[in-house]
Amino acid sequence: MTEKHLSSQFDSDLNGVSSQLMEMGGLVETQIQRAIAALANFSTALAEEVVETEEKVDAMEVAIDRALTSVVARRQPAARDLRLLLAISKITTNLERTGDEAHKIAWRVKSIVASGEARKMPIGDLRVASDLAAGLIHRALDAFARLDVAAAMSILKEDDLIDCEFKGFTRKLVTYMMEDPRTISSSLDLLFIAKAVERIGDHAKNVAEFIIYIVNGTDVRHSSLTRIESLVR
Amino acid sequence: MSPPIFRLASLLFCVGTGALAGLAWRTEIPGAFSGALVWFALDSWRALRLTGWLQRLRKDPSAPPPRLDRLRGEVAERIQRLLRKQAREAAEHENRLRNLQLALQALPNGVVILDEAGRIEWCNRAAREHFGLDEQRDVAQFVTHLLRSPALVQSLAAQDFDEAVTLESPFSTVARPQRLEVRFFPYGQGRLLMLSRDITVIEQAEAMRRDFVANVSHEIRTPLTVLAGFVETLQTLPLGEEERRDFLERMARQAARMKNLVDDLLTLSRIEGGSPPDTREWTPVRTLLQRLDADGRALSAHVSGPDAPRHELVFEGLGTEAEIAGSASELQSALFNLVNNAIRYTPPGGRIVVGWALLPDGGARFSVRDSGPGIAPEHLPRLTERFYRIDADRSRGGTGLGLAIVKHVAQRHDAALAIDSAPGQGACFSLSFPASRIREGKPGNSATDA
Repeated sequence: MTEKHLSSQFDSDLNGVSSQLMEMGGLVETQIQRAIAALANFSTALAEEVVETEEKVDAMEVAIDRALTSVVARRQPAARDLRLLLAISKITTNLERTGDEAHKIAWRVKSIVASGEARKMPIGDLRVASDLAAGLIHRALDAFARLDVAAAMSILKEDDLIDCEFKGFTRKLVTYMMEDPRTISSSLDLLFIAKAVERIGDHAKNVAEFIIYIVNGTDVRHSSLTRIESLVR
Repeated sequence: MSPPIFRLASLLFCVGTGALAGLAWRTEIPGAFSGALVWFALDSWRALRLTGWLQRLRKDPSAPPPRLDRLRGEVAERIQRLLRKQAREAAEHENRLRNLQLALQALPNGVVILDEAGRIEWCNRAAREHFGLDEQRDVAQFVTHLLRSPALVQSLAAQDFDEAVTLESPFSTVARPQRLEVRFFPYGQGRLLMLSRDITVIEQAEAMRRDFVANVSHEIRTPLTVLAGFVETLQTLPLGEEERRDFLERMARQAARMKNLVDDLLTLSRIEGGSPPDTREWTPVRTLLQRLDADGRALSAHVSGPDAPRHELVFEGLGTEAEIAGSASELQSALFNLVNNAIRYTPPGGRIVVGWALLPDGGARFSVRDSGPGIAPEHLPRLTERFYRIDADRSRGGTGLGLAIVKHVAQRHDAALAIDSAPGQGACFSLSFPASRIREGKPGNSATDA
């Protein structure tokens, strides 16, 4: 076996794991989209679909971990390859949790629909935040595919927007609950949905941090934005 | 003399000259040998010049060939000719490729060319807009890494290209959905052509069509169900004369409602499919207004019932001598539909003003103003949709097609339909005709039809 053959086989192994990760990302993205649509239309059918996809996402997580173990054991990767595989392992965990958040949203939507208070609730603001969060996950996965540090940086910067939306929305819900105590249970459901949306934004941020880790080799977790900017440069 | 013979001759000449020169000192053999050596040096020098030129060609394709002997001269010339031809063909191919790419760029459909492994090789502008692909950066990127829709990934993995895949564009939001249809076409050896098109509008039209069909069946089925119910009652129960008459009256009302619906549907389909109205047919406006007056009063009496007060119908501009170009029956139907709506939606005793006025630009406006409840702004843009109803219970009678007919007639007569209303302030529907369709009639003309 020639040297070239070996490395191209390794390449195809790496591409295979990346493809699996992107496929899982696609599933999670659909889950989020469906969860948002379920929220916008108060549709239990869409919420059900989110719940069903959950199993597939979990199965993919296990499959990717197994593939990673096999590649590490057979190829003993070093440097950037090793970073890529480590990052994929971490991103998989983040994606799986993102799927869990989508699942939570769907579950709460069903609970709101069951309560019959759906039409009264202020979901307009939540839609803005959830579109933002879905956009962040999408861009984070795009940035991973392109190993684009600039895009990853912009995601880190934009996560704050969702956090702001979340705070504003919480305040609004409090006023709703004070005005009409009958909406408290639905408001609490919405609060959990808002929290889930905010968490999705955080997971997108984590994915972005691992992209920087793959490309630059610097671990930027738990660092301030200005520090990350100086590290990346 | 052909080049090889010339070459041989030149060698023999050199050898001969060397031998002859050597003859003087009786050293013919070394002489011939040195002659051959001179020839060899000369020959090598020319060969070197040729290869040197070939080297230079690599950097500068237009470098002129050096002056050489016949054989090498011909070689150089042929090489040059070949190179020129090749360059010309390459330019031609390049040009053709560029034109082809420009044509693909101009396509409204997204085109992505994938290699054997499913990596992006090229994409056009529409594909970039559909999927957010970056033509420079995403070359050699696996397509499933950027388009991660599970349906698409599955179709690619299974190599199942019979069915089109529909997916959400990455730019799609809840407020502004964008749906794409993607199809794969295998070609060459394992290569794929990916075509995408925006089907958002098509899906919306499909949804509207579904609503329309649902509405039609509802509008037709309701009177039929009522009729069937009464027929069954009449068949099975012994009824008194009074009840019988009441039932038959109600049945007649439902039958009339269905007839109206079918009439309106037929009118609408005739207007839609028919040839445009004859612009040489001129109708006196006064005739139209007079018939409208009579029909309107009859309808008001019918709608209000025998005891309630009638509507106050006021006609302005009845004395007009103007004539209007177009189909008299269509215009009559459109105007009557407007008056019909006004009467049905204004409580008995309300005031309805039907106006006719010439405009300063030579056109004319027909308007119907009522004192009814008015229309909320969210309904205004949808009023002319077929079967669109403001009142969900459909209690006002009418077929739900009136304004659709008015809109179509207006379009066919180059007229503009304007609706001006606010809740609590009544409504004003007006049709403005352009100057080209209005003329001042002769006083004698208008009397004939009236």
